[in-house]
Amino acid sequence: MLGVYNVGKTSLVRSFVYSIFDDRYLSTVGVKIDKKLVEIEDQPMEFLLWDIAGEDDHFSVPPSYLRGTSGYLLVIDGTRKATFERALDLQQRTEEAIGPIPFIAVLNKVDLTDQWELGPKDLAELEKMNWTFIKTSAKLGTGVEEAFYKLGQKILHP
Amino acid sequence: MTKPPTGSASDKLSDEQEPQEVFEIEELRQLITGPERIQIDQLRERLDNPKHRIHDLSQILPEAIVLRTSQDEKIAKAIAPTVEKAIESSIKTNRKVLVDVLFPVMGPAIRKAVTSTIHGMIESFDKTLEYSLSLQGLKWRWEALRTKKPFGEIVLLHTLLYQVEQIFLIHRKSSLVIQHVMSKDIKIQDPDLVASMLSAIRDFVQDSFKLEKDESLDTLRMGSDRTIWIEQGAHALLAAVIRGTPPSDLRLMLRETLDTIQLGHGEALEVFDGDTTLLEAARPDLEDCLQARYNPKQKKTFPLFWVLFGTGIALIGILCFFSFQGHRRWMHYLERLKGEPGIQITSGEKRSGLYHIYGFRDPLASDPVDLLKKDKLKSDKFLFNLESYTSTHPQVVLKRIGKILESPETVNLEVKDDVLNISGSASHPWITKMREALKTVPWISKYNDRDLADQDQNNFDILREKIGKRFFLFEFRSAEILIGQESELQAFMEDLKSFLNLAKGLEKIVQIDIIGHADSLGTENANLIISQERANKILSIILKEGFDAKSFRTSGLGSRELFREEKTNQDRELNRRVTIRVIG
Repeated sequence: MLGVYNVGKTSLVRSFVYSIFDDRYLSTVGVKIDKKLVEIEDQPMEFLLWDIAGEDDHFSVPPSYLRGTSGYLLVIDGTRKATFERALDLQQRTEEAIGPIPFIAVLNKVDLTDQWELGPKDLAELEKMNWTFIKTSAKLGTGVEEAFYKLGQKILHP
Repeated sequence: MTKPPTGSASDKLSDEQEPQEVFEIEELRQLITGPERIQIDQLRERLDNPKHRIHDLSQILPEAIVLRTSQDEKIAKAIAPTVEKAIESSIKTNRKVLVDVLFPVMGPAIRKAVTSTIHGMIESFDKTLEYSLSLQGLKWRWEALRTKKPFGEIVLLHTLLYQVEQIFLIHRKSSLVIQHVMSKDIKIQDPDLVASMLSAIRDFVQDSFKLEKDESLDTLRMGSDRTIWIEQGAHALLAAVIRGTPPSDLRLMLRETLDTIQLGHGEALEVFDGDTTLLEAARPDLEDCLQARYNPKQKKTFPLFWVLFGTGIALIGILCFFSFQGHRRWMHYLERLKGEPGIQITSGEKRSGLYHIYGFRDPLASDPVDLLKKDKLKSDKFLFNLESYTSTHPQVVLKRIGKILESPETVNLEVKDDVLNISGSASHPWITKMREALKTVPWISKYNDRDLADQDQNNFDILREKIGKRFFLFEFRSAEILIGQESELQAFMEDLKSFLNLAKGLEKIVQIDIIGHADSLGTENANLIISQERANKILSIILKEGFDAKSFRTSGLGSRELFREEKTNQDRELNRRVTIRVIG
């Protein structure tokens, strides 16, 4: 899972994954690994989810952590336009590092409707780039399973 | 025309035949075999020309070798000597080439070998030091001598206990678990998560400390009890979780296992995408690494044995103690007996449970049986064979004398420096008896009775004085005793009685003078008469009591001896008296 600092990556998946590691790994090692089991088209798919610490001025994703990725969720905070821009950049860097790996853009914090900063123009831009995106809310727990499902599909059928 | 162009034969024939025919045949041959001829010539040229041959061979040689190698070992064997020679030649001409090639490989290899050896040495040295001086260590030294193994090895053999709990085979690229094996009854966390995190940490370390290509995180130590060893291969990692102290050759084993897997399943590893079924075959190799070595179970010596043993020792100890105690008391008793006055011990021994004592005993000496109590010994265990004798020990002699003399309580007998001191007081007859008896007693050379007071004599003296002071007062011009002296008279009588008795006992002859006096009034004659009468009066009273007149004498002194100067009537009264004087 990639995304800028504080977009809600960890909170988003917290209740959906099997965890044994504490959140503090994110700030210490820079990654926290969880497991997620999805059923894609009657096939069980087990995700080893690398929740990588958020990008910010002090931390950028170590390329070594990206190694071996089969797919990723690119998480954006819908209430902060800046995260959207940085996500685009992050995706590009990722593609440069590991190639065109399947991913799903996740527009998180959809419950905060009055703070929402992404307009139809932004969504149109995503569509133009052929990005698959899903609106989610960590708070309400909506969209998460769908995001994983879609990602799984994309990985199975690249 | 149908003749086959058989080289020499046809040539021979053609030589024998007409030149024309030869030429025609030749021409024919040319026509027929022309194109082939060219080819043959070409081929010939090829064959003859080494350059061509080389070129051709160079094309096919590699594949030929590969093909042959896959079929059998013959080519390897065939080439081997050549290769050796080649290397030899290469080194001889230019060592640098081979060195440069080998150096990067040898460097790390040597380093690794050295550190591993030193590590092993230190481990062994460490343990050797620890155990060299203990009893356990000595036992192991013996074992080392016996089995001809180095001592350090024996130490390690006995002390190292470890168990390989789990082994992860992790795909380097994806950090996914290829295979995971574990020992029985080990609690584990989800292997996928653990392996991924481990990989993440390895990457983290690599990034943070800018490790070289051949460097990587290879050991994680947790306390003194658990370690994770990681071996890195081309495509996979082998991580072993070990509890205890593993020997350094275990790491070698892990390394070799990884190499084996790498070699055997190299392709599968390269293309690993998460499907572990392809690499199931690697499991046995991994399982071989799940080693454990424990301390040989010490045979539990049954606690009962130790209890009995301990009790036995305790019992023996107690018995010894008691026997020793008993002996001590016995000895002490003997000493006591020996020191007892009037007892002479010639021998004392313990025979069949009884103590036999031989010697002599003065009947007046203490009873040895009584003395047993003092040393807390039981009398039924003792047999006394003591003959009686007469002891000259002062204490016994004393007892004897005491017995002979029948000394009263008031007499104290003591022997000091061979002299019998008799002190205290006793009656006169007893003293006389004593003196007589002591004359015949053989055990004392001297006696001293200076401190022995003769009671009778004492009393005699006292009474003598008392009586001598007696006086009785009379009426004026009369021989009648003044009233009020009854009690004095009575006392006087009693004193007289006692006195005369004592005198008898002391065999003293005494005389009691009763002397009458008168005051100065009246004539000398009258006074003489009256004084005499007064004396007689007292005597009559005495005689009335039953005393023998022999002892008494009367006399009258008139007023010759005045008691007091007569100044008053009282004085005169006092002078009208009878005094008593004792003679003897």
